[in-house]
Amino acid sequence: MMKKFAAMLLTGVMAISLAACGGSSGASTSTDSAAAEPAAEETAAAEAPAADAAATAEDTEFVVGFDAEYPPYGYLDEATGDYTGFDLELAEELCKRRGWTLKKQPINWDNKDAEIDSGTIDCIWNGMTYTGREAAYTWSKPYVNNSIVIAVLADSDIQTAADLAGKVVIVQSDSSAETALKSEELAALTGTFADLQRNPSYNTCFTDMKSGAVDAVAVDIGVARYQMRNNPDAFRILEEPISTEQYAIAFKLGNEALRDQVQETYDEMLADGTVMKVAEKYADDNLPDMLITE
Amino acid sequence: MSLLTVISQIASGFGSTLIIFVCTLLFSMPLGILVALGRMSKFKPLSILIQGIISILRGTPLMLQLIVVFYGPYYVFGLKLSTAWRLYATLIGFSINYAAYFAEIFRAGIQSIPVGQTEAATVLGYTKTQTFLKIIFPQMVKRTIPPVTNEVITLVKDTSLAFVLAYQEMFTYAKQVSAAMSSLMPLFVAGVFYYVFNLVVTLIMNYIEKRLNYYN
Repeated sequence: MMKKFAAMLLTGVMAISLAACGGSSGASTSTDSAAAEPAAEETAAAEAPAADAAATAEDTEFVVGFDAEYPPYGYLDEATGDYTGFDLELAEELCKRRGWTLKKQPINWDNKDAEIDSGTIDCIWNGMTYTGREAAYTWSKPYVNNSIVIAVLADSDIQTAADLAGKVVIVQSDSSAETALKSEELAALTGTFADLQRNPSYNTCFTDMKSGAVDAVAVDIGVARYQMRNNPDAFRILEEPISTEQYAIAFKLGNEALRDQVQETYDEMLADGTVMKVAEKYADDNLPDMLITE
Repeated sequence: MSLLTVISQIASGFGSTLIIFVCTLLFSMPLGILVALGRMSKFKPLSILIQGIISILRGTPLMLQLIVVFYGPYYVFGLKLSTAWRLYATLIGFSINYAAYFAEIFRAGIQSIPVGQTEAATVLGYTKTQTFLKIIFPQMVKRTIPPVTNEVITLVKDTSLAFVLAYQEMFTYAKQVSAAMSSLMPLFVAGVFYYVFNLVVTLIMNYIEKRLNYYN
């Protein structure tokens, strides 16, 4: 009796694990091919150890780490089931030119420091703010001008930053909007809020606002525009941004060799207009205007 | 995105969830039995050590344990981490955490069997191993099916914690679809997947319990 039971159980387990193996390898290949889009600020760090990533002669896998819930810079393309976005598309083009294999690695934004430190990703290329974090990473030259704006419900009575007094504001955990609000310049403003809340995902932040749990979201303008496009007439952005900053590609502190290689190819792409062409695909999110084109 | 597309996209992440589920059960149950035996051992130092380990594994968040297992080799030994390590670290973290819970369940099952049976077995000439395998273990299985079912159902839902290691399982995928669509609907679809999965698990466990109830 026990023997028959054990045999049945083991057979069932084997069958399930075979099915699971088939299913999972299918899922993983689709997610790998998905992330071609440049948008990812968190460019997947190359598989090669971050320290010697510079050389990357033979196994040149470039692992871009990005937040897959951060449109338009890095997100899941519903139509194709692949990861795409402005930063990931740029990363794809860059890897093509350098002969590297791009690996798009969605990461948990809260853990981005541990991920890049331990080398599981080669870079962070996903609307990664450079301003205020200059000392923490090795950076490429800034490539996008960004502003942090306040998004409110379309019918809200908040018109200026001063109206935020006594309101509940939410930001993404560990985002530059949070850093800006907690910085010295904005401490006075933040002090007037009833509460400053955090959440790992901007999507949840906007849902919280829709449901009335919070009054305003402090967010990057590109992300706010995307939310507004997907929720027509639900939100609006206050006219005055609360802070301006720049995006750049982040590498592990000290990994200048890889940074120089990426920078070299990016400069080429900028010079021959490829970057602008990609930005134009995201004109709805105002990217061509935000691009740094010196 | 239509409902059908959402469903098929989330379903593609289901295989990853299934891998965590099956492998964790496969590794944590035998490990749980070993840990339970160690916990009940007459050798005091071993018993105390195991109690301490169980206490830490049950007393700290699973998310934290996953992070420790994943980044441990790099920060402690300076080893290079790889993408494959995300899956292995997830499995290791889940397995040892659930082994601790299963160990306590199995210990309750083993200790609930009247000691008279062990004495009778000794009198009849059974060795300790034979007593355990032929007398104690089968009864323990029957008695612990309800609490084990509890843990298995908890495991189905806990698989979503693998998001912290950026392992792309079903709920992580559902969150990404949700962000791309700026809507919460995909999360509810994922919820339905979990519920159906749990329903199947419960039905299977009920069937097993009935089949093992051969004396009634």
